[in-house]
Amino acid sequence: MPQPLPGDVPGLTVERRDGRDPRILFFYLILAVLLLLLAGGLAHQQLRRTDDHANAERVQTQRRIVHPGPRGNILDRHQRVLVDNRPRFSVRLLLDAIRPEIRDEERIIRRNFRAQDEADKPDLPTLPEIRRLARMSVVQRYLDQVNRILGRDERVDARELDRHFTRELLLPYTLLDDLAPVDYARLLERLPVNSPAQVYTSSVRHYPSGSAASHVLGYVGSTDEVGIEDFPGEDLRTFKMRGSVGRDGVEKRHDDLLQGEAGGAIFRVDPSGNRINPPLAQVRPRQGGNLTLSIDLDLQLAAERRLAETEMAGAAVALDVNTGEVLVLASKPDYDLNAFSPKLNAASAADITARGAWFKRAVQGAYKPGSVFKVLTTIAGFRAGVLQPDSMVQCPGFFRVGNRSFACPGGHAHGEIDLVMAITKSCNVFFYQQGMAIGPEALAREARRFHLDQPTGIDLPDETRRMIIPDPEWKRRVTGEAWQGGDTAQFAIGQGFVDVTPLQMACFAASVARNEVRTQPFLLHDPNRPRQRTEPIGLTPDQRAALLTGMEQVTRRPFGTARILDDPRVLPPLPGLRIAAKTGTAQKQTERGMINFAWLIAFAPVEDPRIAIAVAIEGDTPGEETGGGRYASPVAHAILQAWQESLSPARAGLKVPFRSSE
Amino acid sequence: MPSRRFDQARPFLTLGIILAFWLMLPAGLKSFVRASFFELTAPITLAASKVRDLQEFWALRSHSKNELIEAGRDQARINASYEVAVQQTAELKSEIVRLEELLRLPARDQYRLEHARVARRDFSAWWQRIVIRKGRDFGIPAGAPVVFSGGVVGRVVEVRASTAIVELITSPGVRLAGVIEGDSRPISFQGGNNPTFAPPTGIVELMPLDIIASPASPKRLVTSGYGGVFPPGLTLGTVIRAELGSDGLHKSGEVRLDERLGSLNEVTVLVPLNVETALPAR
Repeated sequence: MPQPLPGDVPGLTVERRDGRDPRILFFYLILAVLLLLLAGGLAHQQLRRTDDHANAERVQTQRRIVHPGPRGNILDRHQRVLVDNRPRFSVRLLLDAIRPEIRDEERIIRRNFRAQDEADKPDLPTLPEIRRLARMSVVQRYLDQVNRILGRDERVDARELDRHFTRELLLPYTLLDDLAPVDYARLLERLPVNSPAQVYTSSVRHYPSGSAASHVLGYVGSTDEVGIEDFPGEDLRTFKMRGSVGRDGVEKRHDDLLQGEAGGAIFRVDPSGNRINPPLAQVRPRQGGNLTLSIDLDLQLAAERRLAETEMAGAAVALDVNTGEVLVLASKPDYDLNAFSPKLNAASAADITARGAWFKRAVQGAYKPGSVFKVLTTIAGFRAGVLQPDSMVQCPGFFRVGNRSFACPGGHAHGEIDLVMAITKSCNVFFYQQGMAIGPEALAREARRFHLDQPTGIDLPDETRRMIIPDPEWKRRVTGEAWQGGDTAQFAIGQGFVDVTPLQMACFAASVARNEVRTQPFLLHDPNRPRQRTEPIGLTPDQRAALLTGMEQVTRRPFGTARILDDPRVLPPLPGLRIAAKTGTAQKQTERGMINFAWLIAFAPVEDPRIAIAVAIEGDTPGEETGGGRYASPVAHAILQAWQESLSPARAGLKVPFRSSE
Repeated sequence: MPSRRFDQARPFLTLGIILAFWLMLPAGLKSFVRASFFELTAPITLAASKVRDLQEFWALRSHSKNELIEAGRDQARINASYEVAVQQTAELKSEIVRLEELLRLPARDQYRLEHARVARRDFSAWWQRIVIRKGRDFGIPAGAPVVFSGGVVGRVVEVRASTAIVELITSPGVRLAGVIEGDSRPISFQGGNNPTFAPPTGIVELMPLDIIASPASPKRLVTSGYGGVFPPGLTLGTVIRAELGSDGLHKSGEVRLDERLGSLNEVTVLVPLNVETALPAR
């Protein structure tokens, strides 16, 4: 028992001990060691691990948001918007924030199953099933909250939710998409600020002209690969908004240019996860570059409208003769690009498939050119020396090669006919004879000279390579059969094995208009693009004059096969515009019977060609006469009319003029 | 000796037992206890507020008769102008009703006005709230909008028998759908992080790119009415800064709020006549 020390107040229970007590000294030693350990630990934590702690604090209290940059706009040659962006509002659920709720729900589900009567008790679900039920229930609870606010009755798509949890767990789950302004305003006001369900914005493509040039423009798809360069905080919890990537058309071909630069922001968050403004670091997203196409929206719309009125599949292409810039690249049936924004649904995709609207007839459709090929036969005949501008042929209405008989259209006997009238009336017998005289090799050689045997190389993905310029060697290689005389006759009038695309024929028409052998089509507009110069065709002035006279007579009454272009009772007149054209009606044997394909190639004005056109329309009824003059001419007329209007003084000031020939 | 040491640890042990007991209590009971606590403290809050009113009353009593006469005259002028405003409002209301009938428009949301004095202010870095001297007894529902002469005050977040807690629009926990005066496109408004003595501010997001605002050319931000809680046209503040937001599609900006929000004495609660449809389920 320790003795009270002098000065101690009696009754106090404070114990006093002598410091020299060995037991106390032992404890002092332990205490000193512990204090040293504490001090050492403190020093270690404060001095050596300062950066670690600062980093841990940073990771815990900061969040990083990455936004993809908006894609660039796509404009027509007169800077009118073909594609731009619009904000899209959605309500999304932060899955990280609802994890505790899902765990609670799992417990409740398990307990409810166990609480059921033994007799009625079903088998206890497996753990994955319980988890699926729990997250479905929790997500539906939040969706119900949104439903109450918006007065809707939406249900969670179980399959989509499973897919999201399996593949995209880090991204917020979209409860409702594409909200109207009133809807997102309502949600902004009524959803609690710290709710896991929040309103988000993203950018989606907007197509003011709907389906216009849909096969040219293409569409975009979403991607998670949104990278941001030179932005700190890669170790922070990052919320990445989905970006978009070109999947077709110029959106795909020029994705690098159109793709915006991602932006990001790092925010400090409070304990509830609410962000605290202003951001600690911020890089603003930058919109991608704009793309100016050579397409003229007025001409494109005119062509598409007229094509649609035929209620048949078809394509129309118009080129600037001198530069090769594409003014029109229309293909029907097509699709409304807004159906792809934000996402193409299954019903729309099925509809597009059912209508055959994925097929880009202008660049993928390989058709027999029919009588429009006679222009090439004429050129080949001139160059082979077998045809003269004043050559005459007797047309009895049919032509025999061996034991086969080939007829003129409708079996008409044209009698004695010259080159100009043969082109004007599209006399087959005239060109059968010329073709036999020229020979298949020379015809094929001339076609290859115009590059009809290869893709044009336009700035679009998926241009077909299935074009065919046949010759005896080709036939032997592909079919294993020998070339027949009838094959040559067919070849001369664009039938038989020959296949070309509407774009190729538009390039061909532009080349003939420029008196050269090749036209490279361009889809990007360059106001300073020079006139194309390639190898001249090599016709004498007389030969060229005969060819152009014949082609111009095609558009004139009373004999021209495209005379409706000159008939004000059928089509509005195109005052002062001299048009050179050639129509064609190709036949193709199908399972349903013989189908006609209506063709027309044209260029204008004849005296100074500036626009070249090719139109191809697929007949849809076996046995029906789908003639180029009747079906394809109105489409060309619509393009030429819009083109003439675009040159009117009232609008000329608003637009970039076409480059006239030098 | 050991028993003495145990005696010294007894307070900690007791605290531990109480904490353990509290943790084990059912959630419903805890919620009841918490509500009861606030209801019990409510009279103290009210009494303190009324004492302050009394102090104010006696402070005013100390003014001279001349000052009172002058104040009375000013008051009479204000009353006269308000009477004119009341008449104009009545005429406008009848005109609105006439036009609604003529155009067969649905009637605007109807509200009952409940004026209440501010009993206490509770400002912190995380929230900015006031306690008003009316609650469930006066039919005030949670979620109801609260306004004053300068525009929107905030939203009722908690209702008790005789008091209600209002979260101010200066608080980061309040978000509303506003519009720029003269425009119809909704904008997200949220209270900012406002230090206690700093001028109150808020932030706007989702602002269309064509809206330009600067301190020299501010834009008035008003309630949109789209959210269904606040009627349209009430002043929220003034947008004094707008710059391209982080998504590149909208602008973000800063809103200057009414400085009187920090010293309110009297507010008005807009009690919807149809509470079920007008207010968000909470």
